[in-house]
Amino acid sequence: MDQLSQLVVTGVLGGSLYSLVAVSVVLIYKSTQVVSLAHGQLMAFGALFYWICLSLLGLNPFLGFLLALGATGFLGLIIEQAAIRPLIGQPLFTSFLMTFSLFMVLDGIFQLILKGQSKSFPSIFPSGLLSIGSINVPVSKIFSFVMAVFVFGLLGIFFKYTKIGLGMRATSENHELAQSIGISVKSIFSWIWIISAIVAAIGGIAAANVMDIHYPLPYIIIKGLIVCLLGGLESIVGALVGGICLGIIENVSAGYLDPFVGGGIQEVAAFVVLLIILLVKPYGLFGEVRIERI
Amino acid sequence: MAIVRTPFHWCVLVTAIAFFYFLPVLGLYDVIVFLNYVNILVIVALGLQMVTGYCGQVSFGQAAFMAVGAYSCAILKSYFGINFWVLLPLSGIIAGIIGVIGGAASLRMKGFYLAMASIAIHFVIMWLIVHLNFTGGTTGLSVSPPQIGNIFLDTDERMYYIILSVMLILTYSARNVVRSKVGRAFVAVRDNDLAAEVMGINVYYYKMLAFFVSCFYAGVGGCLWAHWIMVVHAEQFTFLNALWLLGMLIVGGMGSIPGVFFGVISIRLLEEFVLYISPVLASNFSWLGLAPAASLGVMAFGLIMVLFLIVEPRGIAHRWEIMKASFRLRPFSR
Repeated sequence: MDQLSQLVVTGVLGGSLYSLVAVSVVLIYKSTQVVSLAHGQLMAFGALFYWICLSLLGLNPFLGFLLALGATGFLGLIIEQAAIRPLIGQPLFTSFLMTFSLFMVLDGIFQLILKGQSKSFPSIFPSGLLSIGSINVPVSKIFSFVMAVFVFGLLGIFFKYTKIGLGMRATSENHELAQSIGISVKSIFSWIWIISAIVAAIGGIAAANVMDIHYPLPYIIIKGLIVCLLGGLESIVGALVGGICLGIIENVSAGYLDPFVGGGIQEVAAFVVLLIILLVKPYGLFGEVRIERI
Repeated sequence: MAIVRTPFHWCVLVTAIAFFYFLPVLGLYDVIVFLNYVNILVIVALGLQMVTGYCGQVSFGQAAFMAVGAYSCAILKSYFGINFWVLLPLSGIIAGIIGVIGGAASLRMKGFYLAMASIAIHFVIMWLIVHLNFTGGTTGLSVSPPQIGNIFLDTDERMYYIILSVMLILTYSARNVVRSKVGRAFVAVRDNDLAAEVMGINVYYYKMLAFFVSCFYAGVGGCLWAHWIMVVHAEQFTFLNALWLLGMLIVGGMGSIPGVFFGVISIRLLEEFVLYISPVLASNFSWLGLAPAASLGVMAFGLIMVLFLIVEPRGIAHRWEIMKASFRLRPFSR
């Protein structure tokens, strides 16, 4: 029982990271119908910018945080303007391939900056283990969990009360209708890329706090996409629930099955879950079922 | 044979094939190695073109199916001592069957969902290969070279003839499949699967067939690869390789057999160019680090794909068609 609760708690905390990545993809998909792989790089660059601000420039952690988010948001804006906008009107799959090519370009730059090393943040965040009863939890993971909850709260407020947020919800329902009531769909697209880039950057900083900045960091996006499919591509709540579910599944299966197969279940559990979900419930737990017409 | 239309085509074709068969006589070792790799990639990419370019089912799993072919022939050869000539189609068929099992996922989904499923299939297959007992784990397996009579085909020049011949046969059959009933059914499924079903095409059957053909090609390519390199290893079939294959189709042109050749050759040339130029860049610009080849290669590849998607989404093959048409219509073309 102790082992199970330990695994579940670690899973929830680790899964919150996946939720952060997933929600940035969901935001883009909801309003622009583009599934973005490039967000894996956006989160890596968010972490990288933060590292530059802290270690190279020696800024105040809070100021550096804001600066890193701003820089990543700007990167998101550039991507939208330069690469995604020329593809409006083309088949959706082209945009997916485009984000995937962008992923490769940014991956090259990312590796060029890292030069095969791994960077970690200076110890401004508390580290160590926290023990609650018989459960031990690293403090850095609690920190990223709190960050995720905070971001989800802010997003909820943003979509409910601000004008841009309401515009985005209208745009995600129907582009033409939104345009006809005076919402500029183009500027909404730019805003949504900026916001999702910022969310991805927060996810990246939280992830880098747990696992250092090195070359597999961008590939968390694959886990993020699995979470999106698990929760449904249109659903922000789905991203939160899906991320936490995936974290729990990964940890519990690793804890109980690893002794039988000789390790490594954690890498593959997510993909098995994805295959099962896609076969049983292709639109995810909270997704909308689309009806196709000729 | 009707794919070759005029006597002029026949002349060009025969000369080109004869040229490529006599190429090893010239003794250009690097060119032979390059062409071996290109020919194997052409076989694998032809399969991907069938399922993605013609049937519209995007697959990120081609590298894993190539691994299935390579591993199945390595295992069958070392445990049962089966002849290379039996193994060549057999490894294709094994990969094809596994591909159909994986492709069964396309029953309920398409587009992005299917792409994600194929990513999952890639990682599950590669995980199984590393963790099963008889696949040699992370150390891989070694493969003995194929043999005709008493001649061992253990050099690059000798394998070149085999690889080139298999590539020509498979290209010929791909050209013909595409213009048959099956090929037209693939295109109908790609363009609108609901409409295809209404017209009386068994969509599910043709999707499965596309997956089988594509994985058969990948399996044959993997078998040739294993016999050429003589070692199979999980590191040879990474996710990045699957991405490169898809990139080759984008650059070459989706839904075109010549496009496969354009894509594979241009991307391979780009890779060689980056490998050639990166030491020069590294010695001149110290901020690039000591070994920028990997990152620069990925970056150049991504940039080329971005440019093609924005400027020419139909790939080099489309430009080639335009050029051919303008030569045919001369002097009436612009």
